Amino acid sequence: MKILLVCSGGMSTAIVVKAIEQQAAKTGRALAVSSVGAGEFPAAVKGGWDIALVAPQVRHRLAEFQAAAAEAGVPVALIPPQGYSPLGGAVILAEVDKLLN
Amino acid sequence: MEKIFAWLDRRLIPVMTRLSEQRHLRAVRDGIIATIPLIIVGSFFLIIAFPPVPALAAAVKPYTAQILMPFRLTMGLMALYAAHSIGYHLARSYKLDGVAGGVLALAAFLLTSLPVDIEGKGLALPMENLGGGGMFVAILMAIVAVEILRFAKEKKLTIRMPEGVPDSVARSFEALIPAGVIIPLVWAVRHLAGFDIQHAVTQLFAPLVTAGNTLAGVLAPILLISLLWSAGIHGDSVVGTVARPMWLVLLDQNIAAAAAGQPIPNIAPEPFFQWFVFIGGSGATLGLVCLMALSQSPYLRGVGRAAFLPGVCNINEPVIFGAPVMLNPLLFVPFVAGPALMGVITWFAMHLGLVTKPYILVPWTLPAPIGAYLATGGDWRAIVLAAVNILIATVLYYPFLKAYERKLLKEQEDTP
Repeated sequence: MKILLVCSGGMSTAIVVKAIEQQAAKTGRALAVSSVGAGEFPAAVKGGWDIALVAPQVRHRLAEFQAAAAEAGVPVALIPPQGYSPLGGAVILAEVDKLLN
Repeated sequence: MEKIFAWLDRRLIPVMTRLSEQRHLRAVRDGIIATIPLIIVGSFFLIIAFPPVPALAAAVKPYTAQILMPFRLTMGLMALYAAHSIGYHLARSYKLDGVAGGVLALAAFLLTSLPVDIEGKGLALPMENLGGGGMFVAILMAIVAVEILRFAKEKKLTIRMPEGVPDSVARSFEALIPAGVIIPLVWAVRHLAGFDIQHAVTQLFAPLVTAGNTLAGVLAPILLISLLWSAGIHGDSVVGTVARPMWLVLLDQNIAAAAAGQPIPNIAPEPFFQWFVFIGGSGATLGLVCLMALSQSPYLRGVGRAAFLPGVCNINEPVIFGAPVMLNPLLFVPFVAGPALMGVITWFAMHLGLVTKPYILVPWTLPAPIGAYLATGGDWRAIVLAAVNILIATVLYYPFLKAYERKLLKEQEDTP
């Protein structure tokens, strides 16, 4: 499964990427997770992702991200605030599974 | 407290986010952000030309003019780069050809300048209008140019190529009629009618730039950014959309004064907030993270330790969403009051000349004392001020974090 995360500059999502990867390693799941800043998102989202996740602090730009992702046919979801932390990998993966199944 | 969060959610956030997502402001934001690498690298040459160590300063003095060239041709032409990249982003937002938008914006901006005839050297463009001083003109001309491009496209005022002409060739003709409108228009206003667009726009925005330097002008963005972040919205990107052009004008004036060896005039370009107020991220959370790392609550300790290194690099989403600070009534007061207090202290310290006013843009992920030192051109007192501010924020967070810690520990006991 391929997951793309987007925040303002791509910095804080990089931390969350690590959290998701750690959680995936713990449960033995094969995942490819990557993060970008809002400016790169329209181009990056075309890279064949299964889902794009939007960081809570840029949720006010959700419509903009949805428009870009719709063109690439990628579903978009908001990351729940409590999942957006170095310890939030499990919360995010549970949310992703709920959305994709 | 609940009322404050409800007000934020229903009043402030919708207004601020609508403002920050407005198409033209968004193009200005993205366009200006694209020029930041040039500004950061370019202004570093200023540190090299005027190193904080006297012995070094004496050694490089004969070469100052050469060392300053990269600075002059990047930072010194900031509005030129911005005009193109704002035009590009605005055109892209309309799904028009980005490069056409950028080139037209650049032409419209350059046409507001008057080349000067220098005996024996030919025509020269005065650089002062192409730097930060011309920023508002660059924004205006980029918008005018791209709106004309859009109008022409919407009304189908384009030269259409017959079938079979390659796409790229056809696209290059699309900008022909808009260029035929924009160039004569700006030329007529500036060069025939003699209306000095540069002067008029600078005059128009002068009060805003002056206001940005006052104590109130410093506190307003601090409070707005803190309030937005307390609701979990990226405050600096929202507020910066509107404030950054002004911060860049202030920075440009400071850097010009520094390059000329004069006293630095402005207190409040962006590094003011970056290195002395939002230490560890918005809300000045570095102190909070340190306290959390030593907390008796295992949960707070875990988040605090995980958030420490990002915090040193001024990334604080882990603590904002992890603690959480977002919508947390117990941490709201120090999160908003701390930065405001630090802003007041820093403003007075600089106003009274105790610390050099910042004039160099350095990457925002550096630890605050280092960033503060470099941003002030190597003033050791900036390190002291940053340290004092960290301490103040920490002390202010302490009682509130303790109360929150007690609440968490009690909840832990109550749940078997």
